[in-house]
Amino acid sequence: MTTTSAAATGVAGGTERVIGYSRAINEALAEEMRRDERVWMMGQDIGRLGGVFGLTRGLLDEFGPLRVRDTAINETFIVGGAAGAALAGTIPVVELQFADFLFTAADEIFHKLAKWRYMHGGQFTMPVVVRLPSGVVGGAGAEHSQSLETIAMHVAGLKVAVPATPSDAKGLLKAAIRDPDPVLFFEHKGLYRVKGPVPESDEHVVPFGSARVARPGNDLTVVATGLMVDRAVAAAEQLAPHGIDVEVIDPRTLVPLDIDTIVASVERTHRLMVVHEASRTAGFGAEIATQVQERAFFALDAPVWRVCGTDTPLPQDPELEQACIPSTDEIVAAARALAAI
Amino acid sequence: MTNDPGPDREQVQREVYRKVVTIRFAELRIREHVEKEGFGGFWHPGIGQEGLQVGAVSAMQDDDYLYYAHRGLGYAFAKGMPLEPLFGDLLGRANGSTRGKGGGTVHFADASRHVLGQGGTLGSNFVMGAGTAAASQLLRDGRVTVVFFGDGASGRGTWHEAALQASVWKLPVVWICENNGWALSARFTEQSPTEHVADRAPAYGMPGVVVDGQDAMAVHDATAEAIDRARRGEGPTLIEAKTLRIRGHYEGDRQPYRDDPVLGDEIPNDPVHRLGESIPDDVRRGIDAEARSQVEQAFGAALAAPRADRSVIFEDVWA
Ligand SMILES: Cc1ncc(C[n+]2csc(CCOP(=O)(O)OP(=O)(O)O)c2C)c(N)n1
Ligand SMILES: [Mg+2]
Repeated sequence: MTTTSAAATGVAGGTERVIGYSRAINEALAEEMRRDERVWMMGQDIGRLGGVFGLTRGLLDEFGPLRVRDTAINETFIVGGAAGAALAGTIPVVELQFADFLFTAADEIFHKLAKWRYMHGGQFTMPVVVRLPSGVVGGAGAEHSQSLETIAMHVAGLKVAVPATPSDAKGLLKAAIRDPDPVLFFEHKGLYRVKGPVPESDEHVVPFGSARVARPGNDLTVVATGLMVDRAVAAAEQLAPHGIDVEVIDPRTLVPLDIDTIVASVERTHRLMVVHEASRTAGFGAEIATQVQERAFFALDAPVWRVCGTDTPLPQDPELEQACIPSTDEIVAAARALAAI
Repeated sequence: MTNDPGPDREQVQREVYRKVVTIRFAELRIREHVEKEGFGGFWHPGIGQEGLQVGAVSAMQDDDYLYYAHRGLGYAFAKGMPLEPLFGDLLGRANGSTRGKGGGTVHFADASRHVLGQGGTLGSNFVMGAGTAAASQLLRDGRVTVVFFGDGASGRGTWHEAALQASVWKLPVVWICENNGWALSARFTEQSPTEHVADRAPAYGMPGVVVDGQDAMAVHDATAEAIDRARRGEGPTLIEAKTLRIRGHYEGDRQPYRDDPVLGDEIPNDPVHRLGESIPDDVRRGIDAEARSQVEQAFGAALAAPRADRSVIFEDVWA
């Protein structure tokens, strides 16, 4: 687990507790529902069961069945209904059981959430959060394991959060719920059990569009998100004794994207590698690489490299599945080669 | 529901007539414009269907929510939207309710009158409407959501998801199907296993009501009853108003696929005439003259308004 310093989380002073990523999300939901009566939730099995991943445990008891609503298996209603409920003055926070199901509710996500405000001349806001358990978790298969954040990034009108630590999961979710725009909130399933320090405050809100330096360094910039942040930091620790000082940057949100922090880092390190679990082709790594060469071409001493998921569906077998996403060893090897160019 | 021809009802009918005839003049004015000047988009004429639209919306309260369909302007005008922004949207003018982003097939909206807009993908309003009603249920605001859709849109799967959840939760929503017999080139009778869309309602545990869509007051009454039921917390109703698509799918559609008598100008059971019958001639002529000049004035104002500046492209992406 990341040894996140207080400085890295942006918290000056104040007390912290070590809690899990799941617990952090649960607390964010409960605190925001206590703070604002307009906030409510719906999704499959979120009430009586507390969610298939246990994220909403206890919320039905505290907030009752009208604010924590179990739906039928109806993703278009969960998202489209949230859009309609937002127009009537509420703040829906909905859960799709797996991020992959954003395709099941694609019209509602990419058309209704993303464009309603725009199409109607700015007369409405669309304060909806869609929580999306994302990524590889071990044998969930090709339709329950994808990292689809780039697709969300490509359609204008959606904000995209990809928290990698308990602190960011909590702070970004609170920011998402307070945001008047629709947010796709990609929670990494592989991080749910990970623990880390979280500031002890109801007002721990992490602003969108501000990257976090997960590990400072001088020789090579690695941009990573989600599960890949810890792997990149672990790779950096392995490389340090060999004289390669890697800076790891976690953008935390892809829309808006804090490209300034990435460019400033590359201007110091002169080398950039992007690591993501999502498939390689047209992933967000391609976008970051392009933006960096547009803005800092002459700062680069080497090509921008990507270490990414394979351009294949994900096999169901947990071992094969791991072979489809970047490992710490692969990140180490690629960083070593890139630093040598 | 009341069929008493008391003074209130006479007033309601007169107001429905006024709105229907206003929209009729608007229909004719827009058609004239499309034929003479061309149009940047598709105008889906609702001529002949104005009665059911106005009749239904007239049963709504001011703060009830409306999701309209693409066939004309009757719904939004009946909900209180002025003509000028509606025309402005159609003509891509800065005075449109979308401030210039519209043009042709539009997404007019009026947040203050609870006209919540329209999705470009048919059937998206089923789930949104149910969600809006869920918000009303949570907030206990006493509002009802009315959702219009066509016989073609009734084929969307979103109907199933929305109807099932709305009925289970007893949401305050009323679905109104304008069955005009056609979905572009698809004949309803070839795309439905049952005679009526409303036949599907019992499967969702909700009432399904078939009503003559050319009889505006009958649609008004059926809608009023469904709205009352919804407001009492008894859940949704599916109303199917039988009507006819008089013109093409869009103005200019030559309808080579159409083998029923293409109606063109004749409107069987014209709601304008049916509503007007009981209104004294002089009163009716007064209403007509007023409606016609209102349309002319608003259309002229929209035509004279500037087109939007390109800067609007970048506006309203984010709050
Ligand atoms: C999801 C979706 N599919 C197809 C279309 C294209 N389309 C627009 S209107 C229409 C016909 C609609 O028929 P109906 O619902 O009966 O309404 P009507 O035009 O008869 O009023 C079609 C196919 C669309 N806009 N959205
Ligand atoms: Mg039709």
